[in-house]
Amino acid sequence: MTQLEITRSAVRRPFGRRRKSCPFSGPNAPKIDYKDTKLLGRFTSERGKIVPSRISAVSAKKQRELSTAIKRARFLALMPYVDM
Amino acid sequence: MRLYESVLIARQDISTTQVETLVDEFSAIITNGGGSIKKKEYWGLRSLAYRIKKNRKGHYVMLNIEADSATLTEYERIMGLNEDILRFMNIRIEEVSEEPSIMMQAKSERSERGGRYNNNNNADNASAEKTSEEA
Repeated sequence: MTQLEITRSAVRRPFGRRRKSCPFSGPNAPKIDYKDTKLLGRFTSERGKIVPSRISAVSAKKQRELSTAIKRARFLALMPYVDM
Repeated sequence: MRLYESVLIARQDISTTQVETLVDEFSAIITNGGGSIKKKEYWGLRSLAYRIKKNRKGHYVMLNIEADSATLTEYERIMGLNEDILRFMNIRIEEVSEEPSIMMQAKSERSERGGRYNNNNNADNASAEKTSEEA
């Protein structure tokens, strides 16, 4: 596991791309709430799909929380299931 | 006794006062079952992200409830039978937050910018606040 991470970062370094930190951790991180559609909207694609964490850099734990929040918001018609 | 957050969406064609009587009806079920209403918020007539039973808009109401599970099941059963209710969702929460939810904050921001539609919203806001004080 650690071996893999080392090699991966070694590969990445020439391109100068650092791993971004999770937007939901840190001191003044926003709280994930299904009512906050503006925030949730930042983590959905144009079509309304949930953005994968490998792109949004959300941690696994927060991604799970985020996905339930988005699904709740969809159920209450606060967010679309599909948006064209 | 547990804390729950309940959001319900009422049909677009009914009036604000009708929504209030509906909510009072449902609150009575909770209080009769030994529970209590901790917080009540009327989010206004919001447009839905997709159509539900041919409705494009709906009255959103959020309640924070303290009740036992049997009372909540009864509450859900009655709501499911009511045809004015398009949808509802009850989730368990750990604590009731003191400040108004993000929906109310967003709405007050919008009404500051003015406009005819938003003035209507403000009136709804005031009445919702009044009822919450009464409760």
